[in-house]
Amino acid sequence: MALLEVNNLKTHFLTRDGVVKAVDGVSFALDCGKTLAVVGESGSGKSVTALSLMRLIPEPPGKTVDGEIIFKGENVLDMTDSQVRAMRGNRVAMIFQDPMTSLNPVYKVGRQIGESLRLHKGMSAREARVRAVELLETVGIPHPDNRANDYPHQFSGGMRQRAMIAMALACDPDILIADEPTTALDVTIQAQILELMADLQRRTGTAIIMITHDLGVVADMANDVMVMYAGKQIEYGTSDEVFYEPRHPYTWGLLDSLPRHDIDAKGELCPIKGQPPSLINVPSGCAFHPRCPYAQEICTVECPELVAVDGGHSVACHFASEPGFRRGDTTRAGVGA
Amino acid sequence: MTRDVHPDPDDRDIGKPADATPLDVGGHPVRDQGSQLPYPPASGGDSLSAESPKTRTLWGDAWGRLRRNKLAIAGLIWIVLVVSATLSADLWVKPIFGDPISLEFGSLEPPSVQHPFGTDKLGRDVFARVVYGARVSLAVGVLAVSISLVIGLILGALSGYYGGLIDSFIMRTADVFFAFPYILFAIALLAVLGPGLRNVFIAIGILGWPSIARVFRSSILSVKENEYVDAARAMGASDMRIMFRHIMPNAVAPIIVYGTMSIGGAIITEAALSFLGMGVLPPAPAWGLMLSDAKSLMFRAPWLTIWPGFAILTTVLAFVLMGDGLRDALDVKMKD
Repeated sequence: MALLEVNNLKTHFLTRDGVVKAVDGVSFALDCGKTLAVVGESGSGKSVTALSLMRLIPEPPGKTVDGEIIFKGENVLDMTDSQVRAMRGNRVAMIFQDPMTSLNPVYKVGRQIGESLRLHKGMSAREARVRAVELLETVGIPHPDNRANDYPHQFSGGMRQRAMIAMALACDPDILIADEPTTALDVTIQAQILELMADLQRRTGTAIIMITHDLGVVADMANDVMVMYAGKQIEYGTSDEVFYEPRHPYTWGLLDSLPRHDIDAKGELCPIKGQPPSLINVPSGCAFHPRCPYAQEICTVECPELVAVDGGHSVACHFASEPGFRRGDTTRAGVGA
Repeated sequence: MTRDVHPDPDDRDIGKPADATPLDVGGHPVRDQGSQLPYPPASGGDSLSAESPKTRTLWGDAWGRLRRNKLAIAGLIWIVLVVSATLSADLWVKPIFGDPISLEFGSLEPPSVQHPFGTDKLGRDVFARVVYGARVSLAVGVLAVSISLVIGLILGALSGYYGGLIDSFIMRTADVFFAFPYILFAIALLAVLGPGLRNVFIAIGILGWPSIARVFRSSILSVKENEYVDAARAMGASDMRIMFRHIMPNAVAPIIVYGTMSIGGAIITEAALSFLGMGVLPPAPAWGLMLSDAKSLMFRAPWLTIWPGFAILTTVLAFVLMGDGLRDALDVKMKD
């Protein structure tokens, strides 16, 4: 049995303008020690998916209206508040996007890292501090014994993200959810942080859910990739399947908009045209059809189901199973546009 | 000049043998340090760089900034002076200048060596009364503001953290308090409770909470949007823990400022209420009461109004300057 199994998760927000279907029927599974990458543009429901897993959606206006989240055989959505609190930070931990604001400015770094140990493991302040220093060392902070006494403003951005990772790993969680952990960092630090996460995963066997809009970030790290668009899962498969045999035009667009340093360095980037749809007025049929160069009549009417194309690789596109419908096949482009 | 030249070669004479046997002499402090520097080789330099910059707490930082604010420090010194003078008054004021209550001296004596602030209508030493009067003022200031703080912090925290109906209810109640003129409301409360020091605490304390609740609420509203609050929740912290450990410490700075300034406000209100006869009852020494007694003698015995008035003015000013300095000191944006 998988460590985490999410079935048909639906998280909606009830706003004055209508129901925002931020997450609308997402299913995936995660095994111990594996990495799942969730990719998509801003507003595609990545973060809401992650927050739903930990029941961190502010309610109201948000509500997980349907689906189940089976973590170690138990449905998170049926847990009591105290059960959920015992899970958060302990079995499932989260790293936030902006390390500059995710550490509390009034506490020493060592104490913040130790807090979850005191909370979940019943450690004394002294034991927690000793462990916090070890954790700081694990995440590569030099002179951890001195640094544990520093306040967050004395840390650089990269060091703060390391401290956040130390904090998340304090209780040895089964799952680490990283919500765009490198977005706020510059490129060299990004690489270091990703390397650190991969290294820690090898050592501790923690499963990672990596949320990002940067496919380049996940290419090496992820075992599975889930592509989201307008709250729906549109492609899901192993990293190789999604990167080398993508079947959804949106995934093609994402891959095409990546800057490549190996080929046509002077060529222009090919962004996906248009804007992500408003989640209140989701286009009829396939939500991607207004931006899809391959859209046909059927796309405007009928919403494609997520269907398996081969093995675990599943795609939500009417044409995914057509043999000729492949990335780079330009003959069909513009047919329906 | 020639004398200056002389010691120089002398120094060199000492220096020459020192250069020859560098470690033996070491009499000169400068040379001593110089000869020690190369001694602990790499490890010395390493340990220097290993030490992180001197750790200062947020409060330490704030104190550093406050210390540089001359007005705030003047206010602080004045407050400390007034507090220590009035607390130790039994030891020096009573034996030297006389009792603040008993009628021992001639009526309306002008300032003299024996009575630096003169005496009042009933023959009491005005200096003694001013010093003892600080007890009432400071006690009202501190206690009334404490009452406001307790009520205001709890209600402001609930309001800001939970929002929704709780917020609306608390804030509309605060609006009702704001709708009445402050002094009139205090007089009305005292009319119900009856005059007296204890009731002055209660009246001022009850009237003070709405502003504190408002300030704290808005402070909490802005603090709770911080990502570290989400991080604490994701760590499994309970509502109470998030509230008390993560939000409150980051939200109290404006309250410290506002509270300090409110002490000044409470002192003025107490003086006004005592002046109007609704506060401290005679013969207790209180600044407002002294002013009230003196108002008919303002021109015949001006010292009766000047000194209590001066005491109120300086003490209130001291608290306001102090609060102003704290505002600058606690402002994180001014971090240097």
